[in-house]
Amino acid sequence: MTLKKWLLVLALLTPGLGLIVALIGVAVYIAIAQSFGFYNLSGESGFSLEFWDRMLDRKVFNRAVAYSIYVGVISSFLSVLFAYPLAIWLRKPFPGSLAIGAMLKAPLLVHGLVAAFLFINVIAYHGVLNQLMQGLGLWDEPQRLQNDRNAIGVLLLQTWKNMPFALLLLTGAVQSISDDVLNAARDLGAGSFARFRKVIVPLTVSAMQAALIIIFIGALADFSFQVIAGPTNRQSLSQLMVFFKSSGRWNDAAVVGVSLMIIAIVGSGLLAALTRFTMRGRVA
Amino acid sequence: MTAARLNQVLLCLLLGLTAIWLIVPFTMAVLWSLVDPSEPWTADRLLPPVMSFYRWVDMWLNSSLQTALVNSYVLAPSAALAALLLSMPTAYALGRIRFPGREVCKILALLPLIVPPFVTSIFFTSLLYQLGLHSWRFGAILFAHAIVFMPYAIRIMTVSFEQVRTDHIDAARDLGASAWARWQVAYLPALKPGIFASLLIVFIQSIEEFAIAFIVGSPDFTTIPTLLYGTLGQDFVRPNAAVLSLILVVPNVVLMLILERLLKSANPALSSGKG
Repeated sequence: MTLKKWLLVLALLTPGLGLIVALIGVAVYIAIAQSFGFYNLSGESGFSLEFWDRMLDRKVFNRAVAYSIYVGVISSFLSVLFAYPLAIWLRKPFPGSLAIGAMLKAPLLVHGLVAAFLFINVIAYHGVLNQLMQGLGLWDEPQRLQNDRNAIGVLLLQTWKNMPFALLLLTGAVQSISDDVLNAARDLGAGSFARFRKVIVPLTVSAMQAALIIIFIGALADFSFQVIAGPTNRQSLSQLMVFFKSSGRWNDAAVVGVSLMIIAIVGSGLLAALTRFTMRGRVA
Repeated sequence: MTAARLNQVLLCLLLGLTAIWLIVPFTMAVLWSLVDPSEPWTADRLLPPVMSFYRWVDMWLNSSLQTALVNSYVLAPSAALAALLLSMPTAYALGRIRFPGREVCKILALLPLIVPPFVTSIFFTSLLYQLGLHSWRFGAILFAHAIVFMPYAIRIMTVSFEQVRTDHIDAARDLGASAWARWQVAYLPALKPGIFASLLIVFIQSIEEFAIAFIVGSPDFTTIPTLLYGTLGQDFVRPNAAVLSLILVVPNVVLMLILERLLKSANPALSSGKG
């Protein structure tokens, strides 16, 4: 390539890719710098490990880390777990399969806040679920289900919202496996579980990894589900970061933000390694 | 049990489940939005005792709904247009010029989708404070939306540019078409579905975006999601939240269905009239 052509490519990339890299790069840079005491909006700026030091000792921070990882990991596994059988079931079209696919993917179109509202409506103290359980005689009196301590509400919401996304990725991957491969496995005596374990999973492992990682990052950084439906005695990392920011403690918010990014990167790497490891020797 | 029979059973089971996970919640939202304040909807009644559009009218007249609607519906098309215009040169380079590092650039363009939205928005706000631009809320949100959602436009437009047929461009050039005329006859027809799809997807994303609008816009710039978040928080009034939820979700479902059609029709062979 000539210099002239390089300059042309650079000029073309600047308004699009250039702005993206600049904005995200600057945001990440400021987060890292503020976590080490630079760019202080009030008081003196200068390198300091004080903010990290103090944050790592805070109970609320450590609980938020554990809690966000818990929500991220469980949501991504649950979403993939439900999506796999559905994707295999919908591999071959049959009457009604299109309608089912559309209905299953509908939550993708529903805003997270709306989903959270619909959910707390159903599980409210006087909501339909409580009425139904009382009507069936299973519960004597209404139960308080909102903001439960184990964040089951948040996990349900995350799975409701993210399962369709995993389904979308896995359906594409499962559909691209040819009948010949599955028939060959069947002829060699593989039962349906063996076909799933030894043929389908290895051939769809990249889609599964992508789904696990993307859902993990999204759920790890969750704010709205947690604020509306999550337990009131603990906070997610995003919630904690917003809390620090709104009380003007930018450096503390930065420490939480950088931790969130580090956990997202390390967690994604571990998830990818884990799926590869369990598939060891079976992925071509 | 035969496979067909099994499918039928599974189908019925799943339709039932879907009814529970879609129809019940949405019906509840519609019913709650129709509860008339003259008589509350208590747990012992299946349907609200008195139904009216009072909440809808009340929200329209006495809340910041109108401002939020104007803000959201001015912001989203502007962000869509800005994202499309900014993405075009990059998409052209990625789609039509072979250069080393092209694949890396394609991955870099996805950066905004990987960085958690609250990290982007909080430290973008921090940047605005450093620059003294924090009172410039509409412009700041528009700028951030255009860039954060540009990956979608770049992805779609790159594919569209890849699909422009070189023989069309060459034919137009051989027939003496100027650069503008070549753009019109060879590029535009193949790019059109991609352009519409990009505009629509950024529009939908921007209407729904919460983190940036909430962090950069607070306290005085409201969009529909930030208003909904407000009604779900401290002053939670269930019927009002129901009204807002429906206002947020219904247009988007319609737009998404249009988008799906557009993406299906994004076939250059059809749009350029050649098989």
